[in-house]
Amino acid sequence: MKILVCCKIVPEEQDIVIQKDGQLDISRSAAKISQYDLNAIECATRLAGADGEVVALSAGPRKWLDNTKIRKDILSRGPASLHLVMDDALEGAMPDTTASALALAARRIGFDLILCGEGSGDLYAQQVGLLLGEDLNVPNINAVSSVTIENGNVVVERSLEREIEVLELPLPAVLCVTSDINVPKIPTMKAILGAGKKPVEVFSCAELGVKTESLSDYVSIVAPEGRERMNKIFESDSDENIASFIELVRKVVQA
Amino acid sequence: MDFSLTEEQELLLSSVREMMERDFTDDYFRKCDEEHRFPVEFMTAMAENGISLLGVPEEYDGVPADMLTQMLVIEEIAAMGGTGYLLTNALCVHNMLAWGSPEQLAKTAESAQKGIPGYSLLFTEPQAGSDNNLLATTAIRKNGKIYLNGQKTFITGARDFPYMLVLARDAEPKDPKRCFTMWWVDPNAHGVKIQDLHKIGWHQISNCEVYFDNVELDEKDMVGQEGYGFIHLMKNFEIERLVIAAYSCGMARCAFGDAVRYANQRRQFGKSIGQYQMIQEKLVDMDIKLENMHNYICKTAWQYDADQSLRLSSALCKRYCARAAGEVIDAAMQIMGGVGYTEDVRISRLWRDIRITRMAGGTDEIMVYIAARQILKQYEN
Repeated sequence: MKILVCCKIVPEEQDIVIQKDGQLDISRSAAKISQYDLNAIECATRLAGADGEVVALSAGPRKWLDNTKIRKDILSRGPASLHLVMDDALEGAMPDTTASALALAARRIGFDLILCGEGSGDLYAQQVGLLLGEDLNVPNINAVSSVTIENGNVVVERSLEREIEVLELPLPAVLCVTSDINVPKIPTMKAILGAGKKPVEVFSCAELGVKTESLSDYVSIVAPEGRERMNKIFESDSDENIASFIELVRKVVQA
Repeated sequence: MDFSLTEEQELLLSSVREMMERDFTDDYFRKCDEEHRFPVEFMTAMAENGISLLGVPEEYDGVPADMLTQMLVIEEIAAMGGTGYLLTNALCVHNMLAWGSPEQLAKTAESAQKGIPGYSLLFTEPQAGSDNNLLATTAIRKNGKIYLNGQKTFITGARDFPYMLVLARDAEPKDPKRCFTMWWVDPNAHGVKIQDLHKIGWHQISNCEVYFDNVELDEKDMVGQEGYGFIHLMKNFEIERLVIAAYSCGMARCAFGDAVRYANQRRQFGKSIGQYQMIQEKLVDMDIKLENMHNYICKTAWQYDADQSLRLSSALCKRYCARAAGEVIDAAMQIMGGVGYTEDVRISRLWRDIRITRMAGGTDEIMVYIAARQILKQYEN
């Protein structure tokens, strides 16, 4: 079985600087694999076992993908090869554009199953996986908390509010897995040192025929306004203190 | 000159950090230290990930890596509060590759796979520390067997590692100048007695006195060439000194981070103590020492990788790092004040644990003895 796993490269959030006007400065942010996609990669390598093949796929501008360290990081986590849709036209791409780039690449590469994370570590729109399934016209399900392969079909569990839904889908399919589906393994020393020897293939948007006009526009992303701490300290948990604490919280929330 | 790490080194270190943060936080090491327990879960995990197998050749299921990478990893683990000083798997295998029999090498490599260094090294005796000429443990041949008699002391890991590597005096040496041979000893053999020593630090590994009372050995238990035991060990000591320097530097980094965070947080007389110049001067001098230690270790490891002699540099590097790390940790404790002296914070553990690095692997004074002779020699004529 050939499992394609999608991962996004996002700015390291710890390095993001919030400017006075609330704009985010990511110019000094290192690249990292979106946290949620680590669960998808782990799920793919476990499902593939010894016989299956895991192929990683990512789309984005050169700023994030023209980076041998991040490529090795992805490959050290299990995939046998990496495919990239690397094009500056994908800078700030909206979910529909990204999904379309991934779909065109996936068709080119071939797959039995595509796995995505539950959302991206930066924007967390939670749309790309589902749009990708639509583009490919294959069954697609999100919020998947367990995946098994049975008789050539994929059986998934979704943890809903009051019940666990069990669904059986024919392959090929696209699944978005939750962040609690597994605990991603930490790459081994051997895998890290071997990652540089694995193949990487790069496509451009033009090669794949990706249309980069989006249905939606990027307007702005701003950080919520910070607030001065009140430094109000209650020394003990006496009834009186608890009452004044609640009173204070009430006042602040209403203000 | 390029000071940057390779991408692989950066990824290795980030894996090490992730594993330490997730599975081996300070609580774990504090508990092992309190209970005087060998951190077996940590050692197993280090081997499973391949961290403690860096530098072990692939044919022994290791992960080939240069000395620089190995030292960076040891330093990093110590900097995260881990027992970097226990990561001697690669050194054990390295020694057996150089002088061990195929069987001795196989046993060492098998133990390394579990993350446990294959053997303890039995060198020091009560009357023979730096003066190795006084070594009195003897190996004598009788009726086709070899019998070992004597007493060893300060043996790190005698209870935790599966085998012993014993340096003994040949009772009837072929050449009086070459009279020490190494022997492979099973600690469970008849006539071996182990007694714990009670030390003030390094509680996560045993340290023992070992007695040999007519311990019977075979010719196949000889390690390396007869009469060359001491000469073989010289190379081991050079790498061991570099390893000591690396974890000392890491321990100092660990203490430094805690102290700087504390200096930012602790408020006295209306401001954080980091705002006072006397604290600032400490922090600055500590940082200089950290940088010096790290650079010295990298340079010495690089020399090893470039196939240059470490005879002088490993002694200088170890002397400098053991002392500088002690100074940094001591200053860190001073910054933390009374809190630093309690067992609630790891500074106190680091402070206890660092002291031995000025004695282990050769004392500060012996480092001077080794290095000074070579320095003088360089300027003869």
